[in-house]
Amino acid sequence: MVGAALTGRWLVGLDAVSGSALPDRRLVGGKAWSIAHMQSLGLPTPPAFAVTTEACLEYQRNGTMPDGLESELQAGMRWLERRSGRRFGHDENPLLVAVRSGAAISMPGMMDTLLNLGISQANLPALAAESGDAAFARDTYRRFLQLYAEVVLGTDCPDLKRDEGLGAWRARIERHARQAIPGDPMLQLHAAVRAVFDSWNSRRARRYRKHHGISEDLGTAVTVQLMVFGNLDDQSGTGVLFSRNPLDGAPAPYGEYLRRAQGEDVVSGKRTPESLDDLHAQSPRLHAQLLAAAGRLEESNREVQDVEFTVERGTLYLLQSRTAKRAPAAAVRIAVDMQREGAIDIGEAISKVTPAQVRSLLSPRLTARAASATPVATGNGVSPGVGTGVVVNSADEAERRAKQGEDVILATATTCPDDVHGMIAARAVVTEFGGSTSHAAVVGRSLGLPCVVGCGAGAVTSLGGETVTVDGGAGRIYPGILEIDCPDEREDECLRQLLNWVGERSPLRVLRPDEAPDEDILDLDALDAAADPDRLAGLLQGVEAASGRAIASDEGIAAALAANLRFIVAEPTLPPLLAAVQMSDG
Amino acid sequence: MREMHSVLHAFAIKKFASIDDAVALMGLDEAQVRALAAEAVAGGRLNEVDGRYMVTPTAQITLQGIYAKVYAQLRSDAGFREDYEAFERINDDLKQLMTDWQTLTIAGETVANDHSDPDYDERIISRLGSLHDRAERLLDRLARHEPRIGHYSRQLLTALEKAEDGDIRWVSDATISSYHTVWFELHEDLLRVTGLARRE
Repeated sequence: MVGAALTGRWLVGLDAVSGSALPDRRLVGGKAWSIAHMQSLGLPTPPAFAVTTEACLEYQRNGTMPDGLESELQAGMRWLERRSGRRFGHDENPLLVAVRSGAAISMPGMMDTLLNLGISQANLPALAAESGDAAFARDTYRRFLQLYAEVVLGTDCPDLKRDEGLGAWRARIERHARQAIPGDPMLQLHAAVRAVFDSWNSRRARRYRKHHGISEDLGTAVTVQLMVFGNLDDQSGTGVLFSRNPLDGAPAPYGEYLRRAQGEDVVSGKRTPESLDDLHAQSPRLHAQLLAAAGRLEESNREVQDVEFTVERGTLYLLQSRTAKRAPAAAVRIAVDMQREGAIDIGEAISKVTPAQVRSLLSPRLTARAASATPVATGNGVSPGVGTGVVVNSADEAERRAKQGEDVILATATTCPDDVHGMIAARAVVTEFGGSTSHAAVVGRSLGLPCVVGCGAGAVTSLGGETVTVDGGAGRIYPGILEIDCPDEREDECLRQLLNWVGERSPLRVLRPDEAPDEDILDLDALDAAADPDRLAGLLQGVEAASGRAIASDEGIAAALAANLRFIVAEPTLPPLLAAVQMSDG
Repeated sequence: MREMHSVLHAFAIKKFASIDDAVALMGLDEAQVRALAAEAVAGGRLNEVDGRYMVTPTAQITLQGIYAKVYAQLRSDAGFREDYEAFERINDDLKQLMTDWQTLTIAGETVANDHSDPDYDERIISRLGSLHDRAERLLDRLARHEPRIGHYSRQLLTALEKAEDGDIRWVSDATISSYHTVWFELHEDLLRVTGLARRE
């Protein structure tokens, strides 16, 4: 439904067609630019327009809304009404929008996204009828008020109880903020646009620009985009699609889909999504359209894509597409595959895998036989790795016995700040209470320690004095010392390919212990000072070659390159080789 | 609290802390902390090993009594309790944020965030900034009852700004005064003020 183009002094309508020129990123901001980019690839997005960075700068100069912006916003909303067949601020068939800040360069302190603007007490019945879900309509309104309070009024939102009246929510926010929320959605939109402009001058944004030498003359744009709903009928739904499998890297699209659902339903875990096959069952045409879109995005961005989408009454909309996060195994396979497919060159393939990902793939793990033993306790595995030692029940004891050279496992009911010193000394940490977000979990991960939490009252403190093996990934605690296994980088086909590439390009030779010549090699494992990365450069002065754990770390490689070592000795060799190549390229 | 109690309190929050740590943690005067710590060691209230201090078990019990006395009025103040509950709500968000910082859910599986994607990290740090804005307003209110809380607020801002400037260790590294470290200490301090037990 392409009507007249939207143009104004302060507005740009986003309706790029295939092959057309993209709007200036500096003028419309990164978010609007991405929408236009998707459109230019011929992909469907919810209609949107951008208030330009020039409007922001004009606002900064005068401290008031630029002349004509308000009437242009009116025209912009009319334009969205024509494209959506909905009506802004009306009781029937209401049009809701998301308002986002978007500078050309992203920076902290900018206004967060405001969703569902346009919803009101008056049009709740229409939204309830449309979705057949009165609770959804109420919840959407509640979330809108909360976000409006936080991002536009800049106040903490009081806890709005689900069973309170609609008027009570609003009244409590207004009392708390000591200002009224306008009843007219158009005035709310004005306030939201002003809030985005004001966020350009938030303390954090100003400090960030100063620190990074970013010009004050850039300004931020505002993106206003139609909200689409995946929960309206059986021909609606929402999901995510990865252009390749993000766990193992297999070159096949992978995704999740949930019929009759909004994004929050998927994120909150309230409902378990189905596979993409369910979208195929609903509509083979949409399924094919989505897969084609993911392919185009991957090709255009030369990166695996993670695409968020919604189907509203049988129409597909792409909400967002970005580089997909992937598990270490997937990162390796995708880099190698994409090079072999001719999509990227060897240098790009090398840059897509980090040394940390390879270290994680090659880290020691329990052998299959060992892992089949019966655990003495189980919980939530929140930080992977395997640790073995004697169970102690206090941080002080952990620290004391570790100092004497013992391997200890710290097992407590919960952890508090004064336990951190004991955690640092331990080989693994286990607790009885708390979940994956508990302090013990956060600290355990930060220290790279195997950590299992929430094993249950008395489950682990009762193990004091026993020797156990903790599998922090699986969340299991086994009696005794179990057998562990180190994967070999030469046995995996993709790792071997990477190894060949970096081996040919590395400015630093990395030898395995059994390949090392019989000559003077500095063993950093024998030097306490090597634990401090800042002292590595000093230790390597005048040295020809070095070995030990510290030299294989990223800091160690940097120091080895700076000291011009002839070679280092390490195993596995891929992480240090990869680090050396990336450092010398970057 | 009296100065001596503040010093004991500092070493109770941060065990094995140095004099410098205690000064930084509570915003106290260095010479005074040094003198009081020496006095407390002599009086059997602190143990010292290699310049690091910890509160003795008996002094821990004494401290609990002091909290009960000093904060008796505050503990029955409905406004303060409400603010504390608001802190617990932000605390839940903070913990979720820290978990999102450290781990990713990929296709239903949890994997470590190896920080190979600057965009992802930037989004989380941006969320941390928004959370900090909320927390700061709340901590300002709490600091009206107990000025020490204001010092945590400044330390949190310092950690946030270092993270925003690109040194991502300042988000959750447990070995430095990262955002999470300071928050964790602040939480412990508030639990001591309110006399409530840690939930997990």
